[in-house]
This record gives sequence, structure tokens and C-alpha cells, in this order.
Amino acid sequence: MMPRRQVIQSAVAGSLLMPGILQQLLADDSPGAIEPPPGVNDPLAPRKGHFPAKAKNVIFLFMTGGVSHVDSFDHKPRLYQDVGKEVKLDHPEIKNRPGYERIFLKRPQWDFQKHGECGTEVSTLFPHVAGCVDDIALIRSMHTDHSNHYNATLGMHTGSFAFARPSIGAWTSYGLGTENRNLPSFVTIAPAQTYAGTQVYASDFLPGAHQGTLVVPGAEPIANVAPRVGRTQQERELAALSKMNQKHLATRSDDPQLAARIKSFETAFGMQMAVPDAFDLTKESDATLQLYGLPRGSSSGFGWQCLMARRLVERGVRFVELIDTGSSGNWDSHGDMMDHARLAKNVDQPIAALLKDLKSRGLFEDTLVVWTTEFGRTPFNNTAEAKGREHHNWAFSSWLAGGGVKRGCAYGETDEYGIRVAKDGVHVHDFHATILHLMGLDHTRLTYRHSGRDYRLTDIHGNVVRDVLA
Amino acid sequence: MPGLKCALTCLLVLATGPLIVFADEKEDHFEARIRPVLISSCVRCHGESKASGTLRLDSREGLLKGGESGPAIDAGKPEESRLIKAIQRHEDVSAMPPEKEKGLRPDQIAAFVTWVKEGAMWPAKTARLEAPRHWAFEPIRAVAPPDVKDTAWIKNGIDSLILARQEAAGVHPAAPADKIALIRRMTFDLTGLPPTPEEISAFEQDPSPQAVEQVIERLLKSPHYGEHWGRHWLDLVRYADTAGENSDHPLPHAWRYRNWVIKSFNDNQPIDVFLREQIAGDLIAADGPVEKYADRVVATGYMAIARRFGHDIDKDMHLTFEDTIDTLGKSMLGLTIACARCHDHKFDQISARDYYGLYGIFESTKFAFPGCEPKQQPRDLVPLLPPDEFARSIKPVLDQAASLDASIKNLSDELVGTARQLKELATKKVTSLSTGTIDDGGSAPFTANSGEQDSTGHIAVKRGDVIQLAITPRANHGADSTLVEFAITEVGGDARQWSVADLIDDFPTANPRTDRYGNAATWSYFDTRDGFAFLPENLDVIDGRRELKAWRNGDTPSIFVNTAKEPVKVWTTLPPRSFFMHPGQSGPVAIAWLCPFDGTITITGKITDAHPSGGDGVGWVLEQFHSLPVDPNATEKPLDFASAFTRTAEQRQALNAARKQRADMGPQLAVPVGFAVVEGEPRNTRLQKRGEPADLGDEIPRKFLDVLGGQTLQDGKTSGRRELANWITSPTNPLTTRVFVNRVWQWHFGRGIVTTPNDFGSRGVPPTHPELLDYLTAEFIRSGWNLHALHRLIMLSAAYRMSSAQHSHSPDLYASFARRRLTAEELRDSLLMVSGQLDPTPGAAHPFPPEASWSFSQHGPFAAEYETAKRSVYVMQKRNRRTRFFSLFDGPDPNASTPVRDVTIVPTQALFFLNDPFLHTSADKLAARLAVAPTDRDKIDLAHQLVFGRPASPDQVTDATEFLRDNPWPAYCRVLLSSNEFLFVD
Repeated sequence: MMPRRQVIQSAVAGSLLMPGILQQLLADDSPGAIEPPPGVNDPLAPRKGHFPAKAKNVIFLFMTGGVSHVDSFDHKPRLYQDVGKEVKLDHPEIKNRPGYERIFLKRPQWDFQKHGECGTEVSTLFPHVAGCVDDIALIRSMHTDHSNHYNATLGMHTGSFAFARPSIGAWTSYGLGTENRNLPSFVTIAPAQTYAGTQVYASDFLPGAHQGTLVVPGAEPIANVAPRVGRTQQERELAALSKMNQKHLATRSDDPQLAARIKSFETAFGMQMAVPDAFDLTKESDATLQLYGLPRGSSSGFGWQCLMARRLVERGVRFVELIDTGSSGNWDSHGDMMDHARLAKNVDQPIAALLKDLKSRGLFEDTLVVWTTEFGRTPFNNTAEAKGREHHNWAFSSWLAGGGVKRGCAYGETDEYGIRVAKDGVHVHDFHATILHLMGLDHTRLTYRHSGRDYRLTDIHGNVVRDVLA
Repeated sequence: MPGLKCALTCLLVLATGPLIVFADEKEDHFEARIRPVLISSCVRCHGESKASGTLRLDSREGLLKGGESGPAIDAGKPEESRLIKAIQRHEDVSAMPPEKEKGLRPDQIAAFVTWVKEGAMWPAKTARLEAPRHWAFEPIRAVAPPDVKDTAWIKNGIDSLILARQEAAGVHPAAPADKIALIRRMTFDLTGLPPTPEEISAFEQDPSPQAVEQVIERLLKSPHYGEHWGRHWLDLVRYADTAGENSDHPLPHAWRYRNWVIKSFNDNQPIDVFLREQIAGDLIAADGPVEKYADRVVATGYMAIARRFGHDIDKDMHLTFEDTIDTLGKSMLGLTIACARCHDHKFDQISARDYYGLYGIFESTKFAFPGCEPKQQPRDLVPLLPPDEFARSIKPVLDQAASLDASIKNLSDELVGTARQLKELATKKVTSLSTGTIDDGGSAPFTANSGEQDSTGHIAVKRGDVIQLAITPRANHGADSTLVEFAITEVGGDARQWSVADLIDDFPTANPRTDRYGNAATWSYFDTRDGFAFLPENLDVIDGRRELKAWRNGDTPSIFVNTAKEPVKVWTTLPPRSFFMHPGQSGPVAIAWLCPFDGTITITGKITDAHPSGGDGVGWVLEQFHSLPVDPNATEKPLDFASAFTRTAEQRQALNAARKQRADMGPQLAVPVGFAVVEGEPRNTRLQKRGEPADLGDEIPRKFLDVLGGQTLQDGKTSGRRELANWITSPTNPLTTRVFVNRVWQWHFGRGIVTTPNDFGSRGVPPTHPELLDYLTAEFIRSGWNLHALHRLIMLSAAYRMSSAQHSHSPDLYASFARRRLTAEELRDSLLMVSGQLDPTPGAAHPFPPEASWSFSQHGPFAAEYETAKRSVYVMQKRNRRTRFFSLFDGPDPNASTPVRDVTIVPTQALFFLNDPFLHTSADKLAARLAVAPTDRDKIDLAHQLVFGRPASPDQVTDATEFLRDNPWPAYCRVLLSSNEFLFVD
């Protein structure tokens, strides 16, 4: 499948300057073979979960701004019929808000159809994803604690709606380590920062090795991975460094932290090749690029992000998050819901392509694909004619697909207008518990002792949603 | 009877087997099997000093009465007893003790089952059940130096306590470090910077026994000492330069607190004073002297920099108070108090009453307000002048400024109101006279062409009508400078003529302005995007050209003139004596003529694209707005154009005057302010059940923690911060000094005597050397909380001066000195220093944008980064977007107290050394510095001196010479700066 071994061999072949490196890099190819040297805390060593995992890697697709559930994945026929009907609600977004003394149901702007063998209804906003419903477990009963972007985004990533805490990617890395030491364990690909900034991929109190490495689409996706001097020059410098460090180590009774740092340069040297190799799309076929809707030579757009996600999990990166847009110009369609069309067009084909591509390469069974947003949008507004929708944390839709996920099912229900969860509510904590469960981690046992307390991603909450498991 | 009892019980024994025990055996069973477990595992939380869930387990009555969940035992029925279920860790009750690893052994559980089954016998005469007090709350003990064998090694009291443990473990202390390693260690420890070659050689050549002492004294006097030790404290108080709410507002005044911390360490301020001023500096400041006033107020930034939460931060102040209490508990007391926000502390003797007792103190305090999305500007910043001084010199000016601000706002509102009314008025009766477009670079003449004209193009006008020419954008491409000719001629009468050419001289005079015949408000310039907004700003100079003048609203729309008799070449060539209109990107710009007579006019004009570029051209719209007939019976005269224009002219004049007056006041208003706190409205708070601010319980008096004395306020007339400051630093409180001394030890040895320095509670790790901790604490108290004296005591010990060559596998024994990696700050500062780039002067305020311009939101949060060559402690740190370098090298968490820096070694750090531009630049500059040395050999030596603080050894010279044959000096410098020897301190 992948020519990494060859890449490295050809890169180091004939170089007698760093005899240790080749051996080291190749040794790292065998998963689970890494033993940290005694006395060194090796936070990224691959570890077994609490029970056998259904999936090995996660691709977490985050739509910034709040995707309207009633316009996308939660069909509410009564909303089309009862448009303009006044409703009375104690809703956080209308409380004490001038002009919102009265609210009225607003008609969705897209129509729904049944799709696939399972017959799950999806709107015309997501025609390509609709074609994949037989592989998806849709959850229509999501709910969250806060109707503010910042808090809800932080909550969806860290389980905490106010305080800085480790993100779900960092927890996963902490729980399982990583398989490929030439790449980070947790990668976040984002063209711009979402709400709450770097906190959404931070490791916070977990060891820093678990923090998400930010990839910004463009020329140098990972900071400092592009060599600043020629290869031969760099090899000479590394050889001189290695010699200097070895002499230093010899008089210091082989202090493991010194040894670990020597090794880190060898790994970094490998990353300089492994990362560009992972990001090099020249060997992808035209058919694959077309599937993602990606023009050859392009290194941006959600199609690029999705294809990169596949290439990274293929190489053993444990957790890849894709964020579609930054904290402005996103799904936050207060002014005009038609803006959802532009945002959906940006992600729809690439997401469907990702699912198909994972399947055709036999990676689907090992990869958990998560699609979510921070909250839904109100099925009502202060006039029935209002073009936009407001923030709605009482109900929204998310979905799971891939390793260990039940195919072609829809779980949970909202009421007749999509306002409140009517059946089988799934809180963000439950959603997190389910993701960890699929990764072989028990959310009640994945703990970290910090300032006198054992912390969890799910705090003291969370139940695994068994009905979406295969 | 005894006989009978015996017989019966014997029978029972036979019948039921070994479960039955006799009365005195029951006493024995209680004393031997039950009491020890109750004491060790239960009564600390369910006893006299704390009764979690209102349950007490220190008497039989307590067990039978039970707590919130019901009785603890049902005597005789273990299977019905909650206590038994709890220790058996049944799923339907809370497992006890809560920590799984402290769960009871099966034999202990069996003993409890037996005891309950047998009626839960509690001896009539038995000692009270009291939990042993947790070690950290015990008074500081006097420590006698233990006997040791190797007395020659001992330099001071620290050493005998360290050595005694080593000898007991059969370990020998490492040899003393060599002088070069020692001065590098001491210099990094006290200043966070490497020693200079001169400092090293002076120390090496000083054979006196006082050489070490002299280095310590020199370093303690260095201003860099406070920068390094201040940084330690800033870690604990999660210092940051932004507020951390959803839009991460900057804190432009927080730097004063940062610099106060640095100065306090440099001044060797006694630590009790240092702590007290951070809690109650504003109150202490009032005691005088006046010179200390500003510093003491600034010190309360300790509280003001607490993290803010949410969208409207006033609504989430309960979280900010939690953050304050959490930080106070951890940084000063080594306790995790904030756990008690929702419930009594699960593990420590800290109750929700304790938490809300402190909460009331902070709720009675007014914190400076940083701004947030719905309330952008800061408020409640604290003047750094004593109140009487403030009232005398500043208050009157502030009051005047406030009243000017109010009238500016009123006048602005009135102007907006008038603009809207005019818009309304202009829709009443309108005649379109001419419209059209020109293409890019085009030109077109126009004449008026209304329905009422006669064949000669005559237009009937009334006094008070408005003729308006608007220039409109087409495709919004900008570059719409439009040359306008526009003239109105009176037909008959005086045949007067009005032309825009008349406006070129005295262009900036006024808007609206009088015509050349003396008619008021005849000409007006409008931004008509939203009503008739008079272009507000006039410019006397454009692009540095004095001959160009403008009226404008922002950059565009604008109307401008070239007053010169020659063409002026700017963004395009402007012909001599010309008049231009430039629409905005999204809307037109207009010139209006207010008709001063009843009669007839003709209109001629021409527009020309004066700046062919962008390809979109512009359009024109010429309209007549008719004045409306006045109803003679109306009580109030309705608004007409003439009066509106005149009124606007007056209002604008008043507004400009007020604005100028306000701007002139600027310098007088420059009162230095702190991001600090002052007294608020003193009141007790009510307990928030489960931490929910909406679910209130009993009122809780403001108080200190019960476990440290539970003191309350004498009267409730102040917040209680002064009392709190005194309770924390009271000689009867053993915790504050122990916690601080432990930190100082950790910041020297890399490891605390208590390795959980922010948690001295029961979940923390007990001290490895309790006597040493008490010895150091006692010395610290005796010296008057003198930090520099503590440095001397520690650094003059033999333990501190050991070599780190031998890697020790049991760090608890301190058999060798622990090698450490440089912190993120030390690494950056060292790279700057050895490459000669470091700006060693102290930092001050950050270059934040002015407060008046702020409009940060969660969609567009504050996200700037500011480059500086100053030390890292002065780099601006945000809460919501951490600076990459500092997070890469395990820098402090700006959101939570950081007691210990992690040390991770990851390949992304190695990538920094391989490829980061900062590393490469530093290597280049270091290479340039080496040029002063005459020979290659000298250059190699100098490089080693600068980077490692020692000369190059012969084989290193050989290696270097060989490397340099094929590689340039910057490459060699990169190798040195990437080496372990540079990054680690022995």
C-alpha cells in the first residue's frame, strides 16, 4: 500500500553518516513494538484499550457554526404545514431579546427524500451524503448544554462548556498512543481557527505530546517540517550533532532523557520525509481526485482535507479532525439560511468521497467517521418570513459511520417541529462515551489525575449509545 | 443469671457457628476490628470536623440516625445497612471510601458485617473517635539534626537531613559538581539565563571559599533574577494578557501586575507582605505611605486577572469567583478548594460552607472589567492615585469629560435622527431630472429633464426645494474618483448662478455651507447610504498634498477638490481647479442645493471618470425634492429641508466644538490605572446547591477554612479581604509557609519535597523528607519570610552542589543533582542571548489596539501576536490561542495554575531545532558574533564558551575543525544550539 519504507530507505540509503537512523525508522514500522527506555515517559507508545476496539482511528468532521437539523437530516413535515404558527417557548436564545417577544414556525428551505435501502430521509442540501446513508448511523436526538458558539464548540471538543480541558483527540491519543511515530498522533486540519481557538485541539493538563498538531492547508502544512537546508547538508549536521550528543551522553551515565532526545532527532528526520509523503497527492489517481472533486495540484478546500484524512489514517494517525470553516463565514446562518447551500456544497461531495474511498480501500472497518456541529438551528424565528435561523442547543443531528457502527440506522427523535428531543436523547457526553467505546476505551475508566482529582472526558456523565453499535 | 446467659449463648454458638461473639468479645471486636477502620477510613469525612452528607460515624447514635440518605446501619441486619453496602461497593449506593484504591479489605468488610449482625455494639466506655490530623495542618515542628556518619560532607542543616536518609538506604552522595557546571546551574536557577564567559572565568579564577556566596549575591542583585523567579509565581497565578472569555479581550493594564511581581522578587519583599498585598493591597495602600500606593493597588491584579467566562461575562461571574478561589487555594495554601463549589470536598476537610465563606469575600469585591462581546470597553479600572489625590486633581476633569461625552452622544444621536427624517421627507414628492451611467474612463454631459420643464429645459422651483446630484457606484470595484461639473442658473430675476466651481475655494469651511450670495446652508455634502448623513470629516491635506481638500465619511464616500492651478498627480492626475465626488463601495455620495427663491432655473452638468481603473464606471441621479406646503392651522411647524439643514449646521458646529474640547482634555485624563480590584458592596453570599447559582441555599457568613481555624469577620462592613490576607499569612497557619518553602525547594532541585506542590491535601503525595520541610519552613519563618535568605541556605548546602554526572534512579534520596531541560522561556532567552539578539531591558505595556476601537467577538476574537526581542516573561500571552513555541516546549497553562512544568521530549521539538527560522537566525547571528575571534581555533573556543559556558576540549576542536572543512560556520552553530549540552543544565 504505502511506499514509506522505500521512501526512507532511499533517503537514507548510502548515508553512512547516521547508521542508527535507518534501523530506527524501519523498526518503528511494526506496530506495538515500541518500548520506551526505562526512566522515560513515552506518552505516545501504542497501548491497548480497556477492551478490544472496533475502530483503530477516528476522523472527526466538525462543521463550525451550527448546522440546521430541520434543513438537513431531521425531516419535520409539520414544519412545512404549520409555517407561521406561533409557539411559546422558554428558549435561551429568545429570553429577554428585544424583537423576540413572539416567535413563529419557519419552513425549511430544502425538501427531503428517503434514500438507500434503509430509507433514511435526508434533504437535498446533502445529495452526496444522502447516497451513503446505508453506511451511516444517524443520531437525530443530539442535545447540548449551551447555545453560545464558544461554549458549545468547547463542549463538543472537550466535554467542558466553560473551562479549558483536554480535547477528545488528546484523550484518544492518551488512551491509545499512536501507531506511526513519524507522524503526530492527533492532527487537526483547519483552514481557520474555530470558536475557542486552540483550546479545541489542546491537550491541556494531559502531557503535551497529545495535543493536536495543526495543519493549515497550503504550502507548509505542518510547521517546520520542510528542511531549510539541503538534504546532504542536513545529514552532515545531524551526524555532527549525533556525535556531539553521544559523547555528552557517555559521561552522563546514559541518562534516558538525553537518550530520548537523541532519538527524537532521528524521528524528526523521518517526519521530514513521512509528512511530505503523506501530503503528496501526485500518486493519487485522477479517479480518486475526481471522487473528492479536487483539481490536480490543489492543496486546499474540504476535498483536500478529506483526502488528507484518509491518507493520514492510512498511515496510522490515531485521530484526525477536519474543521470546515473558521469562526466567521460559517454555518451560522442568522441572516439567510440559503447560505447553508454554499457551506453544504463545500463539504457534501468530499464527505461522501471519503466514505466511499475508505470502503474501497478496506479502511472503513478500522476507521470511525464522526460528523457533527456544535448545535442545531431554531425551527422558528421572530417572523415566519425571517430568512435565517438562530442557535438551537435543544436538538440537533450528528452521525457516525465506519468501524463498529451499525449501518443504515437512525436513532432518536425530536418532536413534531424538531424543537425538543422526544425520544432517546443523546447528550454530548453520551456521544463522547460512544466514540471512546468504539475505540476500545471505557469513558469511566479513561481518567487522568490532575490537581487532586481524577478527570474524565465525560466528567461524571455519559452513557454509551448501544443502539448505534453494530 | 450469668449461668443462664452463658448457657443460652453457648447454645446459640452451637446453633449459628462462629458469627456469635460474647459481650466482652464484642467490645474486643469493636476495639480491634471496627474502631481502627472507622478512624483510618471514615471519620475524617464523617466525624466532628466534617460530616459529609450530614452523616457522622463517630458514635452509635450517629450511625443509627444516619445522614441525608438515611440511617447508616440497621442493627442486626447487615444486608439492610447502607454502611455495609457502601463498603461492599454495591452499585445502588455511593461506594465508600470513595477512592477505589482505599477500599476495605475483604476481612475488614467481614468484620463490619459481623459487627452489624451482632447489633453494632458500641462500648459504653471508649475513647472518642477522632481522625488523626492530616500532616500538613499540624504545626511546624522543631527539627534536631540527625546523627550521620559522614560529617565531613555536611555544610548546613539541609545536608544532615538529606544524608541521614541516604545512609539509611546505603547510598552515597555524588561528588561535588565542577565549578563550570556549578556556575551554569546557579545562573540558570536564579536568572533563567546562561552565565557569560566573563562571569565564568571570574568564578573559575576565584579560589576563595566565599566564591560561591559571592556569585549568589551577584545573581540575587541582577534584575534578571526577578524576571525568572517572577515567572515561577506567574505560572501559579495563571497569568495571561487576555481575559479568556469568548472573544478573549486584551488586558492592556495587566502588565503592571506582571512587573510588580518581578519587582517584588528583585526587592526581596518579605513573602508574607507579598501575599497580603495581592489579596488586600488596595486596603493596605490606604494606610500609606503614598509612595507605595500604586504598587499595592497593582498587586491586587492577582484577583483581577482571574479568567472570565462566556459571552456576557457579568452573567458568569460565579465561574470567575471559582477560578479566583481555585487559584487562591492552589497558589497560596496548596489546597484544591474549588472542588467544594458543588459539594463538600470528597477527600479533604473542606466543606461547601468553606467555599461560599470565601466566595462572599470575592463577591463583596469589585473586579476591574476587561470588556466582552456585548460590552466591549473596559470599566472599573483602578486609578493608581490615592482617593483624595484623585478627587482633587482628576475627578473634576473626569466629570467634565463624562458630561462632554454625554453631549457628544446626544448631538450625534440628533444628527442621525435628522438624517432619517430627511430621508422620509425626500420620499414625499420627488421629481427625477436626469439619470445615466458612464463606463470606465467615460464622460457624459447632462441637463435637467423633468416633466414640468418647458422646451427650454426650465424647471420651476420653490424656496426650500432641494436639487440633489448623486454619484452612484456600479460594480463596487472602487477607483470611482469622478470629476463633476454642475451649475444651476436662475432664469430671469437676478440671473444668479450657482456652480460647484464656486466651492473650490474655502472648501473645508463647513458642511452645509453658505453660498456666495449669503444664503445659509445652500450647499450640502451627503453620504446617502442610510438617509441624509452629512459627510462628517474634513481633511486639509490628502496624501500629503495641501492643495487637496476633502469632506468624507471614512475613506469613502467623499467629495474632494484640487485647489491648485496646476494638475496634481496622486492616485490619478487631478486637473487644475477641479471638483470630485467619490461614492462608497456600497452606496452613493451626493451634493445638494437648497433653493433660496421661488422661480425658474436651468441645470447643466457633466461627469467624467477621473480614474479609469476597475472597469466599472459610475452613474448619476439628479433629483428635485419638493418642499411641501405648510398647513396654516398646524400648531407645530413640520420639518422642511431649509430648517433641517440649518439646524444640522448648528448641531455640527456644536458637535465639532465639543469633540475638540474633549480631544484637548486627553493629556489631563492620562491617569495611570491598574487592572485591579476595589471594595464592592459587602455582603454574605448564599450557598449555591450543587454549584448552581439559581438554586440558593442558606446564607453563609464570610469566613476562613474551618480546617485552618474557621475565623469569621469582626463586623461585616468590609469585604473581608484584609482579614483573609492576615488569616493566610498568620503564624498559626502552618500551610502557607510549608507550601511556599516546598516550591522554592522544587524550583532549585526540580522536584518538591511534596511532589504535588499545589495539593497538600489528602490526595497529594506526603513529603519525602517531612523533617527537612519543617526545618526549612522554620528557618524561613525565623528569617521573616525572607526568600533571598532561603536561596542562600539551599544553594550553600552540599546537596545543592552535587554533581549530576551519575544518573540517580531514586530521586527521593537526592543522591545526585537532577539534570533538567531548559524551560520554554529559558530556551528562547538563551537563544536570544548567546546569539546577541536579547534586548535585556524590562518590558512594559503591549501594543494592543486602542480600547475605543475594540469590537472583538467570538467570530472575530482578539488574536494578535507581538514580536519582541525582550525576555519571554514579557511576551504577550493569550488565553484562548496559545503561542505555538510556548506550548511546544511545555510552557505554562494560561488558564490554570501550573505548579510543575511538564518535560516532554517529542519529535516536533526536534523539528524546531532542525528547521525553525528563529533557530536558523540565531545560528546565523551567533556565527557572526564569532568573527571577533582571530583564528578558527579561537572561534571554536568562543562558540563553546557562549553556548556551553566552557572551552572546547581537544577532541571537540578536532571534530569541529573537521566539520568546518566542508560546512559553513552557521551550520556549526546550528549543531551547537541543537545539542543536549545546550538544552540541559547539569
